[in-house]
Amino acid sequence: MLRSAIRRCVVMLLTLLTVSVLAFALPYMTPGDPVRSIIRARVADFAVDPQTAADLTVKLGLDRPLAVQYLDWLGQAARGNFGFSYTSKLPVAGQIGSALRVSATLALVALAVALLAALPLGTIAALRPASMLDNAVTFVTQSLVAVPEYWLAPLAILLFALHLGWLPSAGWREPAHVVMPALVLALRPLAYFTRVTRAAMLDVLNAPYITAARSRGLSMARTVFAHALRNAAPPVMTLFAVWLAGLIGGSVVVEVIFAVPGMGRLLYEAVVNSDLPLLQAGIVSIVALAVLINTLADLAYLAFNPVLRSARDA
Amino acid sequence: MPDTALPLTPETGTAATLPARRSPGARLLAALAAQHWWFLVGLALFLAIALALLLTPWIAPFDPAAQNLRLRIAPPGAEHWLGTDHLGRDVLSRMLHGGQFSVSIALLTLALSASIGTLLGALSARIGGLFDEFVMRTVDLLLSFPEVVVALFLIAILGPGYTTLVLALTVVGWTPFARMSRGLTLDVNRRDFIAAAEVLGCRRRFIVLRHVIPNVLRPIAAITFLRFGHKLITVGALSFLGLGVQPPDSDWAAMLADARPYMERQPLLAILPGLAIFVTALSVTMIGQGLEIGVDRRRRLHPATREPAA
Repeated sequence: MLRSAIRRCVVMLLTLLTVSVLAFALPYMTPGDPVRSIIRARVADFAVDPQTAADLTVKLGLDRPLAVQYLDWLGQAARGNFGFSYTSKLPVAGQIGSALRVSATLALVALAVALLAALPLGTIAALRPASMLDNAVTFVTQSLVAVPEYWLAPLAILLFALHLGWLPSAGWREPAHVVMPALVLALRPLAYFTRVTRAAMLDVLNAPYITAARSRGLSMARTVFAHALRNAAPPVMTLFAVWLAGLIGGSVVVEVIFAVPGMGRLLYEAVVNSDLPLLQAGIVSIVALAVLINTLADLAYLAFNPVLRSARDA
Repeated sequence: MPDTALPLTPETGTAATLPARRSPGARLLAALAAQHWWFLVGLALFLAIALALLLTPWIAPFDPAAQNLRLRIAPPGAEHWLGTDHLGRDVLSRMLHGGQFSVSIALLTLALSASIGTLLGALSARIGGLFDEFVMRTVDLLLSFPEVVVALFLIAILGPGYTTLVLALTVVGWTPFARMSRGLTLDVNRRDFIAAAEVLGCRRRFIVLRHVIPNVLRPIAAITFLRFGHKLITVGALSFLGLGVQPPDSDWAAMLADARPYMERQPLLAILPGLAIFVTALSVTMIGQGLEIGVDRRRRLHPATREPAA
């Protein structure tokens, strides 16, 4: 337990370091003069003349060895200073902060919807394996995975916003704005959650304590709620964490279509405008968040694994 | 454990698995008949789509780039079967040409991801030690990046285009295959029939070819088919955002993006390309799902793989 916890933390740190090197190296890998790019990021000014540029190169220490510059950059980044955005001329950190909040809200709502639908669906499918119902659930959820978001989202806007007028088409001001993007985002995790719930339930339902509970005269419904669901939960929760990490920053298409000012849209705009500081900060913060969420989920899984717990109780 | 309850006598193979001396056609038919109906429906759908895309140069009625500004956003009719878009271009021809980009990028990245991942995973399991540690930590690292973010990062460096797309989706894409192939290889190496074959004095190469590879490939094939839809949709997402296939070329998702401003006037312009992505992704998913059910069923019926008569 402790060993794997330490191991996971080491992997987490290594991941973060690798990402920071990649982000630091970004100006050197993109077309254009890296020194110019960095000066532009630090002083939020594009049109510096050659003399000023030379002065700034010395002043900002851009003539030092790359390794020293990297450590300096890393120190600044750790304090949340990623420089100024090329496009908005504002400090990048503030933009990232508000975008992360928006994306986290959207992702949590979408995943909560997916989970609430997936738990009953997966359980029903697992109770009658290989039945018509099981096959139907599998088929429908697999079809959901094949639905492109950039198809569903415009059609949903066409139907619910333009024709029926029930929901706002795009934006992020009132609670109603969450509904459509969250539902569109929920479909794919819904499919995977159902799949994993079904598999976990199948495992659990074959366990001796389920047979014992049934033979004590407990109804199937009571057995499922009192014993099975709780023990089938860990793999589903792990997947929940993976999706949470993936959707914050990963839901680019949905955020662009519904004009949601989240991480995904921020990254997209950073790429389109070649806004290097924004891109650097965005990549570092998304991966940091993803690694943090996944590591926490792994640790929680280790801590609350019912197999470990029952082994200790026995 | 259900395994121990089995009779210890070697099972007799079913007709489909016996190396009978029948014509290849008959054997193919027998193998197909043994599959789940999802597999067959998916295969038929996908073959139809693939055939249409391969024959595009001959069956596309118009030049996909030819504009006819006097006939913009025309409804489906006798001349333009699926109508025309906002520049008066024939939608059917554009669908066929666009599909070539969408499907070929998805297939290419999938083939690269699956072969690199399977190979590295199997090597990782066989070599073990530091190599194993290095490969698996790399997998962990890459899996913590959202796929689209990696793609955006690479596009920022290399600029958008066909090669960037393939590269971006392969860089992340191989990881699930590596993880799976490593696990499967380790698992197969532990099974009794490997030990039995070793005791019988089978050569190492024979064991790998006859036992390890077939047992690893079947589940990997199933997962490969299940990943195709994901690839097709991710490729499309980047094209939809204008960061994938660049004009004058366009794929299904780029057509969809073009159609959005005219969606209210002619919803079909947005519905058709999306439907094409959906049906193509679904057909391959059905192939994979059918295969997976087949793998499960075979495992239930024959949990111990039949030993060779040697």
